Amino acid sequence: MSKDGGSSGNRNNFEVIYPSITLSEEKKSRIMEALKKIVGKKNISDAQIDKISYSKDYWPIALRWMLEGKCAALPDIILWPHTAEQISEIFIMANEEKIPVIPFGEGSGVLGGAVPVHGGIIVDMKKMDRIISINDINLTVTVQSGINGMNLERRLNHEGYTMGHIPQSLYCSSLGGWLACRAAGQFSTKYGKIDDMLISLEAVLPQGEIIRSKLVPKSSTGPQVERILLGAEGTLGIITEATLKIWPYPEKRILASYVFTTMQEALESIRLILREGIFPAVVRLYDRIETSRHFYDTPQAKNRCMLILVMEGSSHLVDTEEKRSHALCSAQGGIACGPAPVHHWLDTRFNVRETSDFSPRDIIFDTIEVSVMWDKALKLYEAMISAMEAITGVIFASAHASHVYPQGACFYFTFGGTAGKKDALQFYRAVWSAAMRACLDAGGSISHHHGIGIMRIPWIKEELGTSYDIVNRLKKMLDPHNIMNPGKMGFDHDTSQ
Amino acid sequence: MTLLNKIKKYSWIVKSLLHLPWSVKKDALTTLLTAHKKYLPDTESHADVEDILKCALCPNMCRFDCPVLDCVKSETTSPAGKARIAYLYEMDRFKSRDAVNLMYACAGCGACLQWCPFGFCVEDLLHGVRRDIVDENQYIPPPLEELRETMVTYHTIFEQGCTSLHRQYGEGDTLYFAGCIALNQTKEIPAAVLTILEKAGIEYATLPEEWCCGAPLLMAGFFNEFSEFALHNKDVLSPFNRIVCSCPTCVYLFREIYPSMGVTLNTPVLHITEFLLDCVAEGLLSMKEGKKDYVYHDPCILSRRLDILKAPRTLLTSIPGIRLHESQFSGKETRCCGMGGLLSVTHPSISFEMGQKRLSQLEKKATHIITACPACKVSFTRVGAVNVADISEVISESVID
Repeated sequence: MSKDGGSSGNRNNFEVIYPSITLSEEKKSRIMEALKKIVGKKNISDAQIDKISYSKDYWPIALRWMLEGKCAALPDIILWPHTAEQISEIFIMANEEKIPVIPFGEGSGVLGGAVPVHGGIIVDMKKMDRIISINDINLTVTVQSGINGMNLERRLNHEGYTMGHIPQSLYCSSLGGWLACRAAGQFSTKYGKIDDMLISLEAVLPQGEIIRSKLVPKSSTGPQVERILLGAEGTLGIITEATLKIWPYPEKRILASYVFTTMQEALESIRLILREGIFPAVVRLYDRIETSRHFYDTPQAKNRCMLILVMEGSSHLVDTEEKRSHALCSAQGGIACGPAPVHHWLDTRFNVRETSDFSPRDIIFDTIEVSVMWDKALKLYEAMISAMEAITGVIFASAHASHVYPQGACFYFTFGGTAGKKDALQFYRAVWSAAMRACLDAGGSISHHHGIGIMRIPWIKEELGTSYDIVNRLKKMLDPHNIMNPGKMGFDHDTSQ
Repeated sequence: MTLLNKIKKYSWIVKSLLHLPWSVKKDALTTLLTAHKKYLPDTESHADVEDILKCALCPNMCRFDCPVLDCVKSETTSPAGKARIAYLYEMDRFKSRDAVNLMYACAGCGACLQWCPFGFCVEDLLHGVRRDIVDENQYIPPPLEELRETMVTYHTIFEQGCTSLHRQYGEGDTLYFAGCIALNQTKEIPAAVLTILEKAGIEYATLPEEWCCGAPLLMAGFFNEFSEFALHNKDVLSPFNRIVCSCPTCVYLFREIYPSMGVTLNTPVLHITEFLLDCVAEGLLSMKEGKKDYVYHDPCILSRRLDILKAPRTLLTSIPGIRLHESQFSGKETRCCGMGGLLSVTHPSISFEMGQKRLSQLEKKATHIITACPACKVSFTRVGAVNVADISEVISESVID
């Protein structure tokens, strides 16, 4: 660990967890001058206050370090480019100087993906946030990737459309971050995940090449190479612009909820609903703990599992969906609870308070999302809950199925606990390890939509299996000097602390 | 939330705790009750560091609506970004001129308040930090020192500024309180108000010397000076039966902030839109036909702090033939004109850019803009608005003699 001295006039008093190699004054000055010419002097900073602000994302470990008076990592320089061409020039220079580049959207990632573990240049995309066009005929929006999610969705709603991508982080995440992590929103069963919504993109690759894919709904012209940027978390370049699917704002919305005695019955209902080709926008199934946590006002929900459904779109379609889903849920023993629980969910879904409430009280709280096929779903759910509960100090481990497919589901686990007198990070990592091990053993994927970042590096090799080597070779080919977001996704150094 | 609801809400966690071994139960309860103290400063401060920490640990759920961030586009100026630096400042981990400047990079518009799961307004959290900055007397931005000097000397925010309407003060029991900006930069607004009052036949009074409500001193962290202004205003305002203000900030201070510090006026304080609406309802004012298209801009304090949304709209639509339009961001989701808080003093370029952005949003809906705050009018005028009027001016023009 190093003590950060900071610049003169500043009073700094914190430790830096990932000490980067400090650039010599001569080298830094040369790089700063070159970068100023690229982005303009108003769009560059090496002020200590900005370095602190870009020292982390929303990774719970980094937040804990903040509480403990530590700082995750400090970048050397922060840039705010306006064009893909400027980003290209930045990359070319970074290759020449062998200096890391870390893309930054809104810092809402929960796995450390934007932490500048080796210092370097933060490329903040917030000044590339223009909505370029909304095409009513094609039902598309073309937009720069730095746009905030809510600002995009609000503008679309104002114009009479929706993109249907409503993650819990909608208010505090960017389009670029969604694409980089292959994000999923709460309404994804109808509208798809962000990678389903994407039609074409513009991106800058690590050596400065700007690529732009053709705007067509589908083609049979070889592999879609631009798609390797999806889920690459900024390790293979920066997506600068995208054209995405949009929909007319739904004409009708029906809210329905059912409680079941067991998770098995509820999961079976969902499976059968999707098997019939019914795609409610929102399908969320809460286990008993989460039902009692969120739906304490619904008397029928006591000791049961709550399923909420939001069906929206054209009224003919929605009415049919409601009718059939009601029949299927009832056949599995589901008891209808009406729209009230769904209203409650809609009203509270952005109330993200847990970290603020519990972290300063040393209650370790985090979420883990995984995916699994239907035939292994229940087994995986039970195995992961048991694995987490077995760690001493865990107060609760619970889950809800947050996204579903005709073939399977995503389980979104939450755990909370206390390390007692032991080290908080050790406890945290122990719960994660137990959960990841159980997930892999049960045949699940270690991440459904949060990504890898730093936190999931220990399991990425096993997750990708035979593909791991291919991805690494691709990374080496596209980014021979490893400038793009180094220390992430298991492509290079061990960044575990 | 009632106690019963709280019990219901947290029963799940109690149930989870009951199943745990005694040692874990004990650890959990001990940490829950005591751990947070080690993350708070050892020394006393004016800032509520516990709340600042909650904001700092939030994923920035209000960031999309922050007009300062919308201009600067830097994590540092994001709402939670400011709280994170504020936390480091209060914990004595990072103190610098930049950190202090950042504590003033807020329009105080309350946009964050709309979306905060804790109901925080970032500027409210920063008030305490600013008092600590003033106490520490290091890095206070020079324009704020100058403002303090001006206010203490002249009792208005303007050096050698006007503090009176320079007319017969009247003997009515309704006091019209114009506010610093109206008295100095938008004199047409008090002129319009007095015209309306006369046409409505209302006996009114004005003050021979009107002191600022003190908001800038409060916002800057000069709390002792602010207290003097509050006590003075209490003395001079209390004899009246009602106070009518053009400036929403004055209303907010008199109604909400003064009482919160134990200075209660015991006199109803009305914004001009509320007062005029009452006049219309009582039949004291009749309007002639007006055929223009207008877009109404909700002043931040009026809409979000005072919840006065309907009064200006009802008042405007009482003018026969008027066509009133809404911008994409209106009502409680309004956007700041740029004159919010002390931004125009400490960060004038951000303040100017915010004004430009807001004006362009409004002009998409209509070329004639109406607002209900003298500061908003000043802001829009300085960024090039040609047709911007205070609601009092529009009503004054429409009232039948």
